[in-house]
Amino acid sequence: MIEFTLDGRKMEAREGETILGVARRMRIEIPTLCYHDEVSPFGACRLCVVEVKDGGKWQILPSCQTPISKGMEVRTESEPVKESRRLAAELLYYKFPGVPVVREIAGKLGVTIREEDKESNDCILCGLCVRACREVVGVAALKFMDRGLGRENPEPQIGFDAEKCIGCGSCAYICPSGFVKMEAVDGKRIIWDKVFHMASCKVCGRYFAPIEQLEFISRKTGVPIDNLMMCTSCR
Amino acid sequence: MDTVVFSSWKGKVIDNRKLASRRKAPEEVGVPKLEGEKYSALMGWNGLVIADPQADVFSLTRAYLTEARRLSCGECSVCMISIDLILDLLKGMESGQITDGIEEITKVVKGVAKTAKCNFGRNVLTPVGDAVNYFKADFLAVAQRKKQAVDGPYNSYVTAPCMQACPAHLDIPGYVELIRNYRFADSLELIRERCILPGVIGRACTHPCEEACVRNSMEGPVAIRLLKRAVADHDLETETRELKRPREERSERIAIIGAGPAGLAAAYHLRLMGYKVTVFEALPKAGGMAAIGIPDYRLPKGILQHEVDLLQRQGVEIKLNQKVEKLDVNKLEKEGFAAVFVAVGAHKGTNIGCEGEEESPYVVQGVEFLKRVNLGEKITPVERVTIIGGGNVALDCARSCLRLGFKKVEIVYRRSRKEMPGNKEEIEEALHEGVKITYLAAPVKIIRKGDKVTAIECVKMKLGEPDESGRKRPVPIEGSNFKIKTDMVIAATGQKPDLTFLGEKERAAATTGWGTIKIDADSLQTPVARIFAGGDCVSGPATLIEALHMGNEAAKAIDSYLHGKKTNKKISLSGVDLTDQREEIGVLRAEPQKPPILPLEDRLRGYDEVEKGFTAKEAVKEAERCLRCYRLIVWK
Repeated sequence: MIEFTLDGRKMEAREGETILGVARRMRIEIPTLCYHDEVSPFGACRLCVVEVKDGGKWQILPSCQTPISKGMEVRTESEPVKESRRLAAELLYYKFPGVPVVREIAGKLGVTIREEDKESNDCILCGLCVRACREVVGVAALKFMDRGLGRENPEPQIGFDAEKCIGCGSCAYICPSGFVKMEAVDGKRIIWDKVFHMASCKVCGRYFAPIEQLEFISRKTGVPIDNLMMCTSCR
Repeated sequence: MDTVVFSSWKGKVIDNRKLASRRKAPEEVGVPKLEGEKYSALMGWNGLVIADPQADVFSLTRAYLTEARRLSCGECSVCMISIDLILDLLKGMESGQITDGIEEITKVVKGVAKTAKCNFGRNVLTPVGDAVNYFKADFLAVAQRKKQAVDGPYNSYVTAPCMQACPAHLDIPGYVELIRNYRFADSLELIRERCILPGVIGRACTHPCEEACVRNSMEGPVAIRLLKRAVADHDLETETRELKRPREERSERIAIIGAGPAGLAAAYHLRLMGYKVTVFEALPKAGGMAAIGIPDYRLPKGILQHEVDLLQRQGVEIKLNQKVEKLDVNKLEKEGFAAVFVAVGAHKGTNIGCEGEEESPYVVQGVEFLKRVNLGEKITPVERVTIIGGGNVALDCARSCLRLGFKKVEIVYRRSRKEMPGNKEEIEEALHEGVKITYLAAPVKIIRKGDKVTAIECVKMKLGEPDESGRKRPVPIEGSNFKIKTDMVIAATGQKPDLTFLGEKERAAATTGWGTIKIDADSLQTPVARIFAGGDCVSGPATLIEALHMGNEAAKAIDSYLHGKKTNKKISLSGVDLTDQREEIGVLRAEPQKPPILPLEDRLRGYDEVEKGFTAKEAVKEAERCLRCYRLIVWK
């Protein structure tokens, strides 16, 4: 166990545990937008920042990515923390005023929210879909198209590789802004503009999963595709 | 720029707007100097510098932010959006809709410096804060329509501590970032723009970039070299991405003499521009020193071959075993070659300068020895070998000797370990494998019996005053002579180019006192028309990446020459510490990833690669350690 100080209280953390992990365990509320228990932390939204002193000066660091080290001091509610979180929320709201999840979290952090903003479902670049696709599904059909020197990408965005996508819909489930849409129309699923044919359960006849997803599972597990052609309720 | 009117560089404020008499020259106040370039106003990560009292700070700020937005990756919620917000505020001020946006800008600038994810984001707005703070009146004048902002043209330059240290200026934060986002193929493509031998350089580079890495003063630098290797290996092992093909074909043919790093780099870029490129190589293998100078345990054969194959598939013609005996420009011109790039390297060993060093099977040159080893010639080991020299050639010879079955391998070097020019890790590995290094000694006589060697007589040295290279000059200690029993001597004290293929007239016109080829630094042209030169034959023995860089530059220079284009002005920031910054780094502690090393007992049996590479996962983890220290400057 690693001893450290959280908001003035001596505490113990497990090896490798992050500040956010301990805070959640201790029921200390820290806002997050790009964090999810099932995928690796990304540090993008900057809403979970805390103040950390680890030998040197106090610094603002993301609690989701910062592992606890011995003797570390952490403040989760100080003025600098509140200011940084409010700034991140203000900027997110500035860019995505119509996205409900941004409005909600920014409002909670003290940003004045206008009633008249039109609702929208912009991509807020949290990267959850990219990480879920790679780490949970194991497909990596999505990638973060960021910018930098010599890369003429006018806006950062999520890149989609139609050839790799199996249509499982994990990205749509995890997306907090409603940007990734999944539609179902007579035996077809449409996601990221790609059309998937759904398999119908050989017992009840209900459409239950895209054929490409079942083929992917069959390839990964070695279970013959025929054995997978049954929905979970009939299995 | 003549004198500094205002500066906030490094946070040190000098404000002589009202006191013209107190204005000093830039070097006196320590602001950035652009080599060969004057500026009236400059904005960079570390501050704002004004030389012309009439400079338009409003438009400079806008130009700076516009450039900064292109560099902001957009991953975190604060950096790019704050740039957008400030640009919107400036627009509002200019159109008269916002009369005072200063307070909001100041607040955002302060917050972003503490909250942004990377080191670029933490520093990018700092000079904007200076601008609105110290030139508030200028901003308000625009907002109140008393003054009109006049736009550029502005110049901009982007670098980073690692990029600046790299002789070929690779976009290191860029390719590391692509690895972090699992975009290995895209990363490789970015690397290839300036380094066409990523698998080779990813193994054998001396990596000055890592010395410059900001993390170097913390837990240790980002393993930039191994990251480059990781994407190159990924390309070889999984999905090979072909080199880019030319968009259009050109009629001109270009001859390149020497298929080393310089020749191959020039060949790639010229081919990409559409030229027909023929490379003449004297040896049976392409790669130059990468092929014959670096042993397999550091660079396995297949790696270089893959990269050469890619070039050939791109359309570069490589003629092996074709030594150019006499360079005849007129003949080449008749054959349709519009220009010649000479990149023959420096393959001739220099003499030690002691008695008894006439060549024999037991007294050999280091480069020659390595060539034989690398070309697979049979070498019969003797009991004891002494290698003279302290560079990588000496170390490579020594470690190869151990693998060939030589029993006692000793290096004699005239300075101390601190001055040894060989790579630090090479020295450590050599010692670890059992090479003995005798420091502060120099040979005076090789004692021979006919062809055979029985001993080498050396003299002890001490270090005197530094010489022109900055290293302390070794001085012999009189009467301290001693003998080392040895059966063979390898001389690895230096190399020079073999320029006998140049005609007498050309040689007289185009050689320096050092026996290297003379060129114009900007155009890479030799004094002989249509002949360009680069790599070790110009610089003397240097690193692979330096040669490669000259090849990159040669391609541009030849294209400019053939099409009457002007070469782009090179920007260099002199006297600027790129690691210096005003904001906290805001760093997450992260220990470097270490790849496995072949255990000692498995090493000396053969030529298996000693250092293993990163797995994809390790590479991503290591890439996450990059702080992304892009440094932007914009000036007029």
